[in-house]
Amino acid sequence: MTDATKLERWVLVGTSTARDGATAVQEALAGILGKGEPKLTILFASPAYDLGELAPLVKGAIGSSELIGCSTAGELIRHQALSGGLLIWALGGDGFAVTTAHGLGNTEAGLRDAAHEAAGCLRQLQRKEHTILFLLADGLCGDQMEVVRGAYDVAGAGVPLIGGCAADDMALKGTQQIHGTEVLSNAVVAAAITSNAPMAIGIAHGWLPLTEPMLVTESKGTNLFSLDDRPALDVYLDAHDAPPEARTDSKAFFEFAHTRPIGVGRRNRIEIRYVYGADFVKRSLVIFAEVPEGGMAYLMKGSSGSVLEATSEVCSLAEQALDGHPARAFMLLECVARKSLLSNAGVLDQSLTLPNVGPEIPVGGFYTYGEIARTEGSGGLHNQTIVALALA
Amino acid sequence: MSSAPWSLHLLSEVLAAFTVEKPTALRDVISRVAEAVDAEVAAILGPEQVLLSLGVTEEEQQLLLQSATGRPALLQLAAGQLHTHWAPLHNNELLVVGRIRENYTLEERALLRAMGRSIKLSTQVLEAVQAEKSAKEEALREATHDYLTGLPNRRLVMQRLAEMLRSPPDPEVHRLAVLFIDLDRFKQINDAHGHSTGDQYLLSVSRILRELVSTRDLVGRLAGDEFIVITYSRGSAGVENLAARILGAIDRPLQIGSRHLQYSASIGLAVADPQDSPETLIDNADLAMYRAKELGRGRYACFDRSLRERAQNRADTERELRLALERGEIVAHFQPIISLRLGRVVGFEALARWRHPVRGLLPPGAFLTVAEEAGLIGEIDAVVLRNACRTAALWRDPATGLPPRLSINVSARGLADPSLADRVQRLLVETALNSSHLYLEITETTLVEEVAEAYDNINRLKALGVRLAIDDFGTGYSSLRYLKRFPVGVIKIDRSFVDGLGEDPEDEVIVETVIRMAKFLGIEVVAEGVETLQQASILGSLGCDFLQGYLYGRPEDAERSEQLLHEPLLNLPAREEDQPSPNKLMR
Repeated sequence: MTDATKLERWVLVGTSTARDGATAVQEALAGILGKGEPKLTILFASPAYDLGELAPLVKGAIGSSELIGCSTAGELIRHQALSGGLLIWALGGDGFAVTTAHGLGNTEAGLRDAAHEAAGCLRQLQRKEHTILFLLADGLCGDQMEVVRGAYDVAGAGVPLIGGCAADDMALKGTQQIHGTEVLSNAVVAAAITSNAPMAIGIAHGWLPLTEPMLVTESKGTNLFSLDDRPALDVYLDAHDAPPEARTDSKAFFEFAHTRPIGVGRRNRIEIRYVYGADFVKRSLVIFAEVPEGGMAYLMKGSSGSVLEATSEVCSLAEQALDGHPARAFMLLECVARKSLLSNAGVLDQSLTLPNVGPEIPVGGFYTYGEIARTEGSGGLHNQTIVALALA
Repeated sequence: MSSAPWSLHLLSEVLAAFTVEKPTALRDVISRVAEAVDAEVAAILGPEQVLLSLGVTEEEQQLLLQSATGRPALLQLAAGQLHTHWAPLHNNELLVVGRIRENYTLEERALLRAMGRSIKLSTQVLEAVQAEKSAKEEALREATHDYLTGLPNRRLVMQRLAEMLRSPPDPEVHRLAVLFIDLDRFKQINDAHGHSTGDQYLLSVSRILRELVSTRDLVGRLAGDEFIVITYSRGSAGVENLAARILGAIDRPLQIGSRHLQYSASIGLAVADPQDSPETLIDNADLAMYRAKELGRGRYACFDRSLRERAQNRADTERELRLALERGEIVAHFQPIISLRLGRVVGFEALARWRHPVRGLLPPGAFLTVAEEAGLIGEIDAVVLRNACRTAALWRDPATGLPPRLSINVSARGLADPSLADRVQRLLVETALNSSHLYLEITETTLVEEVAEAYDNINRLKALGVRLAIDDFGTGYSSLRYLKRFPVGVIKIDRSFVDGLGEDPEDEVIVETVIRMAKFLGIEVVAEGVETLQQASILGSLGCDFLQGYLYGRPEDAERSEQLLHEPLLNLPAREEDQPSPNKLMR
């Protein structure tokens, strides 16, 4: 009898920062294609490229295997954060099987139905012992909690969710998602990955509560109106002792809030929510995803040290969940706001040394507008967090 | 992280989930509940089925259903052991939340229990509030919207028009305009195809109007087949363009069920003046719409002040006409009809005249249109019929010793009056007039338009022996079918054909054809509008039976008319041998 975990599985990562799309694709695939045809190829690319040009090039090179991807706010590999480049993350071997799908969002239902449709690829998957659903969503399209909800509707408790929200280098104008040769927006693309060996998720953020928990007394969608019956914006500005310009100027507020998230209290954790705007008239905060009314919320603070520590521990957390199997590769999905904080503190390169990961292990990922990781409960949308997927 | 007790917030977040704006959006609600209590599974179970679930496969749903006891349970799912807790909802439904691997703490269980009672209460309150809100919204909608088309009704139109007049978006540039749309001959759709088809047609028109206007315009249904469009325009050209597009769209064949119906509309346009009230503006558009109808339907007309004056005059005339009927100012005058064969006066056509106390004797053209619109035409018909019969019954034709034959006009409305046959019968009895000497004159159009209502009357008149005369023959729909279908005793050739005799060969051919056809069918022919001896001679040579016109006498009062029976007749054409019609049919 064959040990199923010994069926071939491989993961390879290639990158390029060549300006020319064709050259970049060729460079990134150079070390991958020699291994054989991948089962799944994931393309993370700067919006500086024409993704409509890149997708057919990659698809043409990988043959019939599945391709998904998205635009980013930067790509990351061990020791290096790329800017304006592209990264190709590929897995293959008989130990893996993959199906993919996508769904398009609409203004009424947001991305929930899109995620539901994309997660439908699970139904076509011939499942092996371990299965996850990998999601890439438009990061600028409504409440990202809806992506998790829509995917969970299909995946249920038995399938962990992981993924990221596509970005656009902080232009905040529009992101793109790739499925096959199609370049989409306002969409969710998904890959159902099944393996004969474990796959596990690690989550860390390094943010700490600045305040005692507060009751969310009014919120709706991505608008947080009041905390403890006080206008949320005033609570936020006062607690963080915001400078005058952040109290009146939208751009100054955005810069200020970039590294001061909100925490949503859960049973045994705090989920982070990115504050990316303020309504100075209604005195409310605009949050990347819902802060549920009736729940408890924290104002969060972070230091370069605590955030750095989260980066180094996230791979360990993921690997520890592999039931004793060694990790053969990692994918990292890290919030672009963490990158800013680490970069401003001059420790961005240090954060990517990943001391707990062996030098032979492939690592690659991208800087996101939101991270998806559900391993317990039914929620799983994070901001300003780093999420790691470890594959045994 | 603070050590604030998690579970104390649980109840608050769960209840908040149940007070979202759409409590019926249960998929959102159970997602939020699951997230709030950090559960992998949430579901709402009915007595025998899973209504909604999250986090479980279809097989696992059955497991949930089987364990729906209302007590905490431990279930084995593929993802691990599920610790469940239940909360009763209304209608014997249960909310279940389940956490994999880790059980609820004592404190959580206490709060989940309280949650059950609170959710039930919240749901009931929400349902009651929602029902009340829905009832109020429905009542308001019913009060302000047309039930059939869903368009704003008159009440809401007037309200919105008042608001739009008060605060135009850009008064320097745009002016408010009203288009009053009335469907032409809509009654025919209901009569011919039934009210259901009529309703479908109205719905189609409402859709057309909605599609043609811009989003800030208002479309409403005032009543029946009357629609309104309120729009803003830089000038009258824009409004006229919109009216033309509406007319074009309505005038196309509309598919209603298996039928294609093609009817036109008439539109009145009125542009608001600063001092106009909503009522004035609608009235102005209404007047313009009537003007469009007068001009021939299927078109639009713009309001101007002269229409208001005309309307005022019409209102004055109507008021006076009502008084005239009360005071007996409507009288019958008589125009002689002569027999070419006998060379003498053999009958009269009775015509309505208004003996106006100030304006003198008025011909029908001065008041019949107003009488039609005011619904007085039936009464006028009845007065003339009664007066003429009573008068003529007293006259004697010296050649026969009997009363002369009598023709009386009956309007479309009069012919549809269910009491007509009874009244005629009573008059025949009262006056001892021979029914075969009484002819009721109707137009071809009357037969075509009102056939449904008039059919019964015509049959009853036929049974009395009264005959129909078709007035203005050749100018209406000329459906020969009606000549066979109804007891037509006389065709009256319209004066427009008689005018051309001796000058226009085509008219002569037409007249000859009509006479030949009438003789073949055994119908007598009266030529109207005979003014010259030449016309009389040609008509005689063509075989016409009777002549009527100024050549032989204008309509006169009863006294003068009776004298004509006793006076020798001048201006008779040279006689030809009378040839009886070979196929004359008795009717």
